[in-house]
Amino acid sequence: MRQISTKQRKTALFVISVLIVATAGLVIRLMFLMIFHSAEYAKAANELHERERSIKAARGVIYDRNGVILADNKPVCTVSVIHSQITEPERVISVLCEVLELPEEKVRKRVEKVSSIERIKANVEKETADYLRSFELDGVMVDEDYKRYYPFGTLASRVIGFTGGDNQGIIGLEVKYDSLLEGIPGKILTLTTAHGTEIPNAAENRKEPIAGNSLTVSLDVNIQKYAEQAALKVLEAKSANHVSLIVMNPQNGEIYAMVNVPEFDLNDPYTLNTEYAAKAGEETLSGEKKNELLNQMWRNPCISDTYEPGSTFKIITATAAFEHNAVSLTDRFFCPGYKIVEDRTIHCHKVGGHGSESFVDGIRNSCNPVFMEIGARVGTEGMYETFEKLGLMRKTGIDLPGEASSIMHKTDNIKAVELATISFGQSFQITPIQLLSAVSTVINGGKQIVPHFGVYAKNTEENTVKTYQYEGKTGIVSEETCETMKMLLESVVHEGTGKRAYLPGFRIGGKTATSEKLPRSSNRYISSFLGFAPAENPQVIAMVMIDEPEGIYYGGTIAAPVIAEVFDSVLPYLGIEPVYSEDELKLEGVGQFSVPDMTGMTKEEVKALLKAYEFGEIYYTGEGDTVTEQFPEAGEKVNKKTSLILYTK
Amino acid sequence: MTKPSVRKTEYKPQTYYDYSLLFITLILVCIGLVMVYSTSSYYAVKQKFGDAAYFFKRQLISAVIGTFVMIVVSKIDYFFYIKGIGKKYKFRLLFLAYMLCIALQVYVLFFGEEVKGAKRWIKIPVLGTFQPSELTKICVILLVAYIVYAAPKRLDTVFGFIRVLIFVCPLLGLVAAENLSTAIIIAGITFVVCFVVARRKGYFFVAGFLAVLVVAGYIFLGEAFRGERIDAWLNVETHPKGYQILQGLYAIASGGLWGKGLGQSMQKLGFIPESHNDMIFSVICEELGIIGALAIILMYVLLLWRLFVVAVNARDLFGSLICVGIMVHIAMQVLINIAVVTNTIPSTGIPLPFISYGGTSLVVLMAEMGIALSVSNRIEYER
Repeated sequence: MRQISTKQRKTALFVISVLIVATAGLVIRLMFLMIFHSAEYAKAANELHERERSIKAARGVIYDRNGVILADNKPVCTVSVIHSQITEPERVISVLCEVLELPEEKVRKRVEKVSSIERIKANVEKETADYLRSFELDGVMVDEDYKRYYPFGTLASRVIGFTGGDNQGIIGLEVKYDSLLEGIPGKILTLTTAHGTEIPNAAENRKEPIAGNSLTVSLDVNIQKYAEQAALKVLEAKSANHVSLIVMNPQNGEIYAMVNVPEFDLNDPYTLNTEYAAKAGEETLSGEKKNELLNQMWRNPCISDTYEPGSTFKIITATAAFEHNAVSLTDRFFCPGYKIVEDRTIHCHKVGGHGSESFVDGIRNSCNPVFMEIGARVGTEGMYETFEKLGLMRKTGIDLPGEASSIMHKTDNIKAVELATISFGQSFQITPIQLLSAVSTVINGGKQIVPHFGVYAKNTEENTVKTYQYEGKTGIVSEETCETMKMLLESVVHEGTGKRAYLPGFRIGGKTATSEKLPRSSNRYISSFLGFAPAENPQVIAMVMIDEPEGIYYGGTIAAPVIAEVFDSVLPYLGIEPVYSEDELKLEGVGQFSVPDMTGMTKEEVKALLKAYEFGEIYYTGEGDTVTEQFPEAGEKVNKKTSLILYTK
Repeated sequence: MTKPSVRKTEYKPQTYYDYSLLFITLILVCIGLVMVYSTSSYYAVKQKFGDAAYFFKRQLISAVIGTFVMIVVSKIDYFFYIKGIGKKYKFRLLFLAYMLCIALQVYVLFFGEEVKGAKRWIKIPVLGTFQPSELTKICVILLVAYIVYAAPKRLDTVFGFIRVLIFVCPLLGLVAAENLSTAIIIAGITFVVCFVVARRKGYFFVAGFLAVLVVAGYIFLGEAFRGERIDAWLNVETHPKGYQILQGLYAIASGGLWGKGLGQSMQKLGFIPESHNDMIFSVICEELGIIGALAIILMYVLLLWRLFVVAVNARDLFGSLICVGIMVHIAMQVLINIAVVTNTIPSTGIPLPFISYGGTSLVVLMAEMGIALSVSNRIEYER
């Protein structure tokens, strides 16, 4: 029988070798695919398999200094449809239209679109979503997430700011601390088959969202409210455009309050507030125009708008003069009502002039010629050196977006006239916050401060993630100058232009200003007052700016009382007790006394007793004649003229 | 393994049976059953059947029949197919099979079940469908082996080769009309068997070159849908016809080293259409990773090696050539299948031997292995 020959065997060996080499080639190709292309194809494949749903991370809460919530999250829902799971498209369309109040056309388009998931409406109230769920529609999905909610509505609106649809900060602290607050959104990745059905029991790839960190800011809701009240009062009384008021700790730059009335509602930031609605008038606004107005409304004038500071800037000029030994308290000046600088006559605000006066009188009177004189003595270089030190040539670094820089003359361009006007706060522009932080340095012993809100941030486990440090240089202004300036500014309130800021029992320092807005002929003013207390060791500094008041516009007349009103509430609130001088105690309604025990007394007896005390209104509630309870209670220390409530039986 | 001797001796020769070949085959069939269940259950539930094990059960039945056929065939002397049978009118079984194949191929061209634009199946009540081209392959292996065995020296010239082609061509042409890839395999088997036997091989290189030209011409200038396949092959990521292959590539690549685990394939969930058929290897890669895929490829290499060993030790040239034919058949199917799923060549429908779903293919392949085992069983060696 014929057998396979050796040569044929060799050929067979050759054949199988070729086959094995070919197989090896394919193995290499396979490994190439599975190792080098693995990531690329696996990713593409995953995208194909996974239906991704993102879970919003809860945004961090913003607390005030006492732990009061300023910005919170409330649950809202997002409604989506999954095309492949819809069984009754017509019913789905009609129910969605009705419940979500959407046009049918829009809903139909989304329902009929062949996609894995299509969002119908976001920010649906929870009640509406629960109602929608009760229909049990196939393919309609309701996801809960969060919406930013501001419990105080309009309070400190331009400071806190608000967020947009994707939970991102739009203005204010919400922008500045966005990355801190936003958290990391989670994801639900569900695997689906090619036909779009979710695979039961498939390991759902769920990435939990990481909630944002909470932020505690230096704002104090109560101080903010006091300040807002005072600002609103003057806004109405003077029909002003708007009133800004900042209350700050001059020692470390923590801002207690920053008011810009009229505020807007943070829970409805896209509706113009009264001020801007009035500007818009009756006409329906074009989108562009409305956007412009909204942007104006959202603007924070305390930090974003520059102005000519006017007389409050004399604090800086005086500081420069003391620092350069250009003036002493006893130096004498003469004010004829104007000063001629080169070829210009620059007037004092008092037409007749202040006559002969000491430097102390000069600052009490806010006398322009005095400051022109000392400004000239210090000279441009000296003045700018002080400006530089006090931070007027740069931004303060406040933790809010949109801070403006000052607009200053170039030193080369400053001639005698410019120097004279700079000396009393004209011909250049700074922001209110710059002035406030510069003055803080002057009165806090020469310590540079950064005005700020952010204090510390905590994560959801209540661990402190970050404590914000705002270290500044010390010794910017000498102790001596500081003491002198505090004394001078206290005397401004005590005996000078700022006397309407005077509060019995407290030592308040301050300076008034009335800046004429440009152009000069328009007779539009910004009245302002900058005050601090207690004068010997300032714990709080405040500044109010009244934009375009009607009628009387002098800062000393209309702005100073606003600060007095704020301090009247804020100083006791901050635990600064009034200390009355002999003279002050003689004034009516000034001072404190201890409340006597009146329980068990008859009305007659009470009347007899109360003659010795200075209560305000006395209210009786109840039927009988005998006092059972009293408010304030016995032994409590109260201010004079406090109301008394007695419950009788 | 002791090298078997083919010399006859005075001692009573031991008959040999290649159990390695048998068990490699059975292991591959078992892997196939597992993978068919894994890949087809989603499709089976999704389709009208509603029974996750629908395809598995059918494949299991085929496997049982196939095993039975394999063992029975392995005990039949392979000369039985070419011996004259009958007393009055002697006829050869192979000749009968040859005629039957031609008849079936003609029948399928006109009355075949059309699936996805190709008429390749004959519907048989109860049993389902039958693919005659599978039977044709086994017939061609035996036919070519027989012709060459009958006159091996004729192949020293090109005319001997042409003589073989004349016998094969009717079947080749009929198969090629509907199923180019099977035709290529048939041509390949014919070519290699002749090549092994021929003592002068120069003309094979010329013929091989011509064959490549013809195939290339057919591919590029042939029917519209074949041209499209080339486009799909070159632009697999963007071409709409490349979808199936791209999905297969996704599956292969997402397997990584160890794979996602048996049954964990995502791509079988409707992304790869009918992943239990020709694309099954991509799901194997996805579920079992490089390691699993290499293990299976290694099984095929071992199988080919055993076939080679049997071929070079066979009692006679006929047995040797049968084994060479079977070896080429299986190797070509494995190579083409893997090359297609890895997008190395344009897509064409070749099932992975023993593993892909398909009753006819499985039973015919196992019958082939039975013949190979029968060849091994004729090997005699001394203790």
